[in-house]
Amino acid sequence: MVLKNLNDLRRLVEGGPRKKLALAAAQDQHSLGAVVKAWKENIIEPVLIGDESGIQAICASYNYDITSLRIIHEPDIEKSVETAVRLVSSREADILMKGKIGSSTLLRCVLNKEWGLRTGNLLSHFALFEVETYHKVIAVTDVAMNIAPNLKDKIAIVNNSVACLIRLGYEMPKVAVLGAVEMVNENMGATLDAALLSKMNQRDQIKNCIIDGPLAFDNAVSLESSRQKGIKSEVAGDTDLLLMPDIEVGNVLYKSLVFFAKAKVASIILGALVPIVLTSRSDSEQAKFDSILLAAASIK
Amino acid sequence: MVEKVLAQNRRHRVAVAWAHDPGTVRAIHMAVHKGFAEAILIGKSSDIIRICKSENLDERLFSVVDTENETIASREAVRMARNGDADIVMKGLVGTDKFLKAVMDKENGLMLPDALLSYVGAIELPTYHKLLFLTDPAVIPFPDLDQKIAMANYAIEMANRFGINRPKIALIGASEKMNKHFENSVDYAIMCKMAERGQIKSCIMDGPLDIFLACDKDSIEIKGVPTPVKGDADILLFPSLESSNPFYKGLMLFAKGELAGLIRGTEKPVVLMSRSESERSKYFCIALSCLMA
Repeated sequence: MVLKNLNDLRRLVEGGPRKKLALAAAQDQHSLGAVVKAWKENIIEPVLIGDESGIQAICASYNYDITSLRIIHEPDIEKSVETAVRLVSSREADILMKGKIGSSTLLRCVLNKEWGLRTGNLLSHFALFEVETYHKVIAVTDVAMNIAPNLKDKIAIVNNSVACLIRLGYEMPKVAVLGAVEMVNENMGATLDAALLSKMNQRDQIKNCIIDGPLAFDNAVSLESSRQKGIKSEVAGDTDLLLMPDIEVGNVLYKSLVFFAKAKVASIILGALVPIVLTSRSDSEQAKFDSILLAAASIK
Repeated sequence: MVEKVLAQNRRHRVAVAWAHDPGTVRAIHMAVHKGFAEAILIGKSSDIIRICKSENLDERLFSVVDTENETIASREAVRMARNGDADIVMKGLVGTDKFLKAVMDKENGLMLPDALLSYVGAIELPTYHKLLFLTDPAVIPFPDLDQKIAMANYAIEMANRFGINRPKIALIGASEKMNKHFENSVDYAIMCKMAERGQIKSCIMDGPLDIFLACDKDSIEIKGVPTPVKGDADILLFPSLESSNPFYKGLMLFAKGELAGLIRGTEKPVVLMSRSESERSKYFCIALSCLMA
């Protein structure tokens, strides 16, 4: 089952009850607007946690009809996050979303040892892109969370992402480990990590995917380009997941795709008990919506 | 192999440094008798002649160069190869260290510029269906990544000379899994990717692999590990001298293996054997060096 565009994610949320999304510190127009839209389009069922009067005021001025929605009144921002997180860990909600609160504060609560959403896995950022010039959606990780992942981190990041893709219906996602070149160079750590990840995958120590690398960006996304270089690879030209060597190149790629390639993108945080939606004010309305959609679709 | 050497139709001149043990002398005699070698025995001429007589060998078949001690004998053998008076240098009854010191001498030695000195051996086993090459059981104690790559290239080159175009090379470890406790598995993964990308050429490479997956086809079926080597390895590359040396000695002792081997990285072939190797092994070493010359 190939996802050609982000809209195809809707197929995965149809049939069966809607997943519950807990919006922490919900007195925030940017996130509230996206949540209400996703609710109206039958993607999720929201639970709004935050300052009730603030929430009602925003909904009134933006004309969001939230009469049937569950609101848990909690004016204190940090307490509202705790409430939202506890809702998730008690299985009353399936998705956590950030409202009027900084990402680091929210994540600190997520990682709380007592009532948080830890699984023992590394948290990682997962972005799914729809680019007109590529034949299907393409996932990119980790462009926003892990700054300079070592080999162990990369293994965790790959595992998180592959598990998510499997839940989205992929059978054996193709993972390209990116570098500046497709040859192994002892001075280029990214190429060495790529060789190690490839071998671990060949030995079934990283499962459920096909990993190749190092591959340069053009080799990863263009079969023609990889053929010209004489690269024999099952992944080249047909990549489902691009593993970035570090956050700098990841973030630059993410933004290049959005600004120059006019790509659409959905992003979630993986590795916690549930997917976490961490959209920011600078994200487009579409991106916020698609992130919620991705979160909902990625739950089995 | 001997047939291939004879087909060359040349007599290679072998300079033996400190030719004081009967086994070596008998082995070189076999090569001379067979017709593919000429021998220059360097050492105390009186002792050498005495050995020939007691072994019933005609010392006139050899050239004998009189030298006082092992160090001078080693240097002389190397010097002869350098200036073209010999084609091959062979270690006699002199310690490996002393001998290699002469070979590796910066000014008067036999090293190719920037080359790594390493040893590749070929074992004939009654229990394996073909010749098995291994490296490096003699010279490099703990090869790093670059050294392992050089070792692999030498072994591939030797296999090529034996007519094996794309030898299967198994990078040997205790298991086929990547393991952070075994740093060699990291080097092996890097080498495999380099082979995939054509950076190490003319071979089918996989590793880490244990000996069973490298050499036993049944193991492949039982363990279900997908590997292009498939229990049919031509070359075994070991992570250390302390693993490869006992391996080949075990094969010689318990599996009646015969070993022939060569030093690589030198301008002219260098034959290095231990005293405990059989005469037949020594003879094959000489033949091998002639093949590679």
